[in-house]
Amino acid sequence: MHIFSVSQFIEFLNDALVTLTPRDQIAIEGEVSGFNIAQEQWVRFDLKDESGLINCFLTVWQLKQPLEDGMKIRVRGYPKVYPKYGKFSFVVQEIELAGEGSLKRAFELLKKKLAAEGLFAPERKRILPRFPKRVALITSAEAAAYTDFIRILNNRWAGVEVNLYHTAVQGASAVGEIVKAFAYFNEHAEAYDVLVLVRGGGSMEDLQAFNSEEIARAIYGCRIPVVVGVGHERDETLADYVADVRASTPSNAAERVVPSREEIFGTLNFTAEHLCERMLGRAREPLRAIEHAVYQFDHFWREVGYKMNDTIRELRGATEKIAQKIVVRRAALNERARVLQNVDPQRVLGRGYSVVYVAGRVLKDAAQVDTGGQIRVQLNNGALLGKVISKEL
Amino acid sequence: MTSKKPVDFAKDFAELEKIVAWFEKDDVDLEEAFKKFETGLELAAGLKEYLQTVENRVTEIKKKFKGLVEE
Repeated sequence: MHIFSVSQFIEFLNDALVTLTPRDQIAIEGEVSGFNIAQEQWVRFDLKDESGLINCFLTVWQLKQPLEDGMKIRVRGYPKVYPKYGKFSFVVQEIELAGEGSLKRAFELLKKKLAAEGLFAPERKRILPRFPKRVALITSAEAAAYTDFIRILNNRWAGVEVNLYHTAVQGASAVGEIVKAFAYFNEHAEAYDVLVLVRGGGSMEDLQAFNSEEIARAIYGCRIPVVVGVGHERDETLADYVADVRASTPSNAAERVVPSREEIFGTLNFTAEHLCERMLGRAREPLRAIEHAVYQFDHFWREVGYKMNDTIRELRGATEKIAQKIVVRRAALNERARVLQNVDPQRVLGRGYSVVYVAGRVLKDAAQVDTGGQIRVQLNNGALLGKVISKEL
Repeated sequence: MTSKKPVDFAKDFAELEKIVAWFEKDDVDLEEAFKKFETGLELAAGLKEYLQTVENRVTEIKKKFKGLVEE
């Protein structure tokens, strides 16, 4: 018989338990209850079914997906008796969500958490370069998603260098491999214009890796703009939400990454035609300038002509006015001359009257001259000199 | 165009777009316009030729390079 001390026995028991339950061969499936996180470090919950219950324990850093009561999960790890309290619990090293319900619930919880952190924020989405030269591609080289992507890429565009990082896209190793691929490309970020992560369609369980927090954070932390094309059109994964560009399928990812050759061909043809038209237009410009100058010149002289005509017309008008004025003046002068003629003394003398002067003055009164005084009688023709003989008053 | 330097599609396309924009300006020097016009047509022709002759290249990143970041 072997006698153990209590702690020795617990140690022995724990060794035996680990040997009995090899981690890679055993998983326990059950429903989560009493989930709780203590001191933001220690995660405890019970895993139970209708008639059994096991205490489970792990640290928050091991908790890769959101858990809550009622979720169906599978855990891997090892059983252990805690020496201090003698309490049996299961040390969880890996958790896998079991069943569509748990997957959906975990998806919703993680989506909410990452959204609150701003991982899906539209303002942080980067714009892809229009003509990428080097494309980083993460996918499985054996999958249809890969061939679809390359086929569409080749159909549409040329001159792109694609660097493929082959990874598993489902199963236990997928998350780790994809995260490593991101780390690799992130290390060489300067060499790439865009990073593409694609995978074909599948069940929610198949696409589980693309709903993991690690991959979501790898996309978020990637220095290269990321395009994610996972599943079919209706599938949505958290990777899609974090991506800078969400493509609906792997083929669509290729369409989003490179432009269409035909389209760019059309643009180039149009551009060349447009340039020709512009150039012709520009070349015609000097000619138009000369035409314009000629027109201006012509116009100027025509204007001068008009002005001269106007001047002549004005001059002619002015001359006429002057002539009229002269006529009027002449008439007035004639009239005056006529009036003056009527009062001209000479004309009166002509009718037989005469004017008598005494000492150069016209004599109008007989009293103004003495008898015997000298007088001068002016006739129409000639004058008489005489002496007054007598006066009649 | 006789030069056979490798085509940088994005760069040449941007250059072409710049020339098109230049022609929209109001006052352009005719001499310069001719030069730009020629360059523009050469670029467009070069880009078209490039699209017709070049192919995509796919290479897989080998395990030994992958190892470099796996500490």
